[in-house]
Amino acid sequence: MKETTDARIDEQLVQFTLSMADDELILAHRNSEWTGHAPILEEDIAFSNIAQDELGHASLWYDLCCNLSDDDPDRLVFFRTPDEYRNVLMVELPKSDWAFTIARQYLFDAYELVSLNNLVNSTYRPIAEVAGKIRTEEIYHYRHTSSWIKRLGLGTEESNMRTQKALNELWSFAGQLFIDSPSIQMLADSGVAPRSEILRQEWEEIVVPFLQDSGFLIPSAEPVDAIRGDHTGNLTSLLAEMQEVARTDPSAKW
Amino acid sequence: MTDTQWPRFEVFLQDRPETSHRNIGSVHAPDIEMAMMNARDVFVRRPSCISLWVVPVDAIYAKTVQEIEADPELFRDRLGDESSVDKYDIFRKSSQRRAMTFVIYTGQVEATSPELALQKAIEIFGDGTTYVWWVCPERIILRSQESDIPSMFAPAKDKEYRQPRDYKVVSAMQEVKREQPGKGGR
Repeated sequence: MKETTDARIDEQLVQFTLSMADDELILAHRNSEWTGHAPILEEDIAFSNIAQDELGHASLWYDLCCNLSDDDPDRLVFFRTPDEYRNVLMVELPKSDWAFTIARQYLFDAYELVSLNNLVNSTYRPIAEVAGKIRTEEIYHYRHTSSWIKRLGLGTEESNMRTQKALNELWSFAGQLFIDSPSIQMLADSGVAPRSEILRQEWEEIVVPFLQDSGFLIPSAEPVDAIRGDHTGNLTSLLAEMQEVARTDPSAKW
Repeated sequence: MTDTQWPRFEVFLQDRPETSHRNIGSVHAPDIEMAMMNARDVFVRRPSCISLWVVPVDAIYAKTVQEIEADPELFRDRLGDESSVDKYDIFRKSSQRRAMTFVIYTGQVEATSPELALQKAIEIFGDGTTYVWWVCPERIILRSQESDIPSMFAPAKDKEYRQPRDYKVVSAMQEVKREQPGKGGR
């Protein structure tokens, strides 16, 4: 189903769709760790829904990636080593407390929303179609997590303090979402994906006033010094758990 | 121990344009906007839905027919403040059959108090059998908007609901056992 003719662009497309997929997959796994442990039953169901949605989005991106690379989504998920994963560090950090989880999900949902708003106009049609499909659900995710952020910020002294602490910890990691690379520039030049600086600007236009209105201070931190492919030990332990069953018997049929 | 549970909200769901909103359960939430989202996540993951209403439990004036019959004073001398006419949404339960015991939206009346709204509702909608009446000021109900449908309700339609039988676990296990003679295969 290849539509581009430039082999160099094709290679960047594989890396780009794989990055999108890995972000969603790893975040979905971290969110699923709350199943059975969220603050109340209703939120347990809501957050498990969000985890499943992100997994579904990952699946759409993996399919797109595999159409270009003739790879297999199950192999990509269950049989790659940590250093082959392309997710940003932000999504692999441990789930920590509820404030941290909501702060991470909020910052990421806002990034996804501005990213998808751009990608629906991608010159590579399969990306535009997948982005359109995912965006409807992401609008709801953003509504859910921004509602939580507001209530944690304007709630009690403790809820504000914990969430502010989480935002301070996450800010430099969020910066990694907008680090530019020759690969992104090449895709941006051909209209396939948005430029990093545009994304950063649109993200800040949403996130900064909203966090301020919710009673938070905007942290100032340089983006973490990491590129996609760099990881912490957290991904190793996450994958060990996630891949354990599939690797026990690689020939098993599912 | 103090009760840390959040307030409860009743949830009404409409699954098709030609059907009325029916009460499908309740959710806890810190406020009515969060109640709307919890309602979506608890009740609209799979079934079709085009509209949700949520109402704080305290805002519902509820009476069974037995309670109404047992209290002849219920509607007597209740003169509401004429300057405070409200619109009330009326809901009733009209069946005791299993799977049909929903409290369903019936219509609207104008009145100066919930009691007088109920009295009017009985006059207007009381023809058939009714077991329970619910009366709620229209302005207190939070209703999902037409514009919420794509992000809140439409995605559920793309999600396949798998019954347990879709996972071929039993037949797969039988196959495994057949391949291992003498190890409990039937």
